Amino acid sequence: MSNHSEAQSVHLQHHFVDSDQQFDAAKLGMWVFIVNEILFFGGLFCAYIVFRAWYPELFTMAAKELKPLWGAINTLVLIGSSLTVAMAIRSAQKNQIKGLQINLLITIALACVFLLIKYFEYSHKLHIGIWPGADLYTYEGVDHPLAHVFFSIYYIMTGIHALHIIVGIGLMIWMYIRAKRNEFGSEYYTPVEMTGLYWHLVDVIWIFLFPLLYLIE
Amino acid sequence: MSEHNHEHHISSAGQLWAIGIALTFLTILTVGLSFVEIPAPFDIITALTIAIGKAFLVAAFFMNLYWDDKFNSLLLIGAFVFFILMVSVTLLDTLYRVEVIPTF
Repeated sequence: MSNHSEAQSVHLQHHFVDSDQQFDAAKLGMWVFIVNEILFFGGLFCAYIVFRAWYPELFTMAAKELKPLWGAINTLVLIGSSLTVAMAIRSAQKNQIKGLQINLLITIALACVFLLIKYFEYSHKLHIGIWPGADLYTYEGVDHPLAHVFFSIYYIMTGIHALHIIVGIGLMIWMYIRAKRNEFGSEYYTPVEMTGLYWHLVDVIWIFLFPLLYLIE
Repeated sequence: MSEHNHEHHISSAGQLWAIGIALTFLTILTVGLSFVEIPAPFDIITALTIAIGKAFLVAAFFMNLYWDDKFNSLLLIGAFVFFILMVSVTLLDTLYRVEVIPTF
């Protein structure tokens, strides 16, 4: 272990044998968290499946209120941000701290674009009376007695997803500040890698939300 | 794994861009197919197959599962299996009710 460099020993916690073991342990923990997230969203997808099986015509009719163009643009925005976060990790691995910072900034910008589009979608719907919940829902454009049920599912699934985007922006600002302080490099970039895993998970969830909500014929 | 100076996998920029472009192409494909009349169950099956393909690309090459300790892949597959189990058991109830009257 004498050949370990200075940078490694600064970050190595005493209860790990070496930084590889520390890195793998962190990654395993992150994957357990991702399993938890999948099953958390899984409950919401389960509700979606139950209601779609009960009222298939409701989903066909109500989904016409969602604009596939905006959903598609947001899908491409998130795919782009997944790419830049992967590039950020690559920059850290290659000790290119400037590249790491730039890629994190682009990712934050793309995440904000996603939220901005979501904001316009939400505000348009709320404006015409599409609110979640039977009591608040006043829109008459969908000729189905349970139209509000579809939009409750829509708001909860996309809303919790948007909450994850906001958390992700916070994490990436934190990573950017730490990168600015020169805390990362090819020897130590574990937090950047974990933030990346989280961000890809958020991307994957949207990959499923998009066809299931926006692309119903 | 336990060797010293073990190198983490570093994807080339070209590799990452290729995955990004593949994901973009699959997004355009799934939007395009939504305008084509595909009979009832197969439209959902097509859309979900494309979505699973995209999720696989992200998990394998952006989340690095392809080069990782296979135990992490096992966790992901396990999550998926338990999700299917949750949905199946729920549907065994909700699909076979005599009357669906949830009140809202």
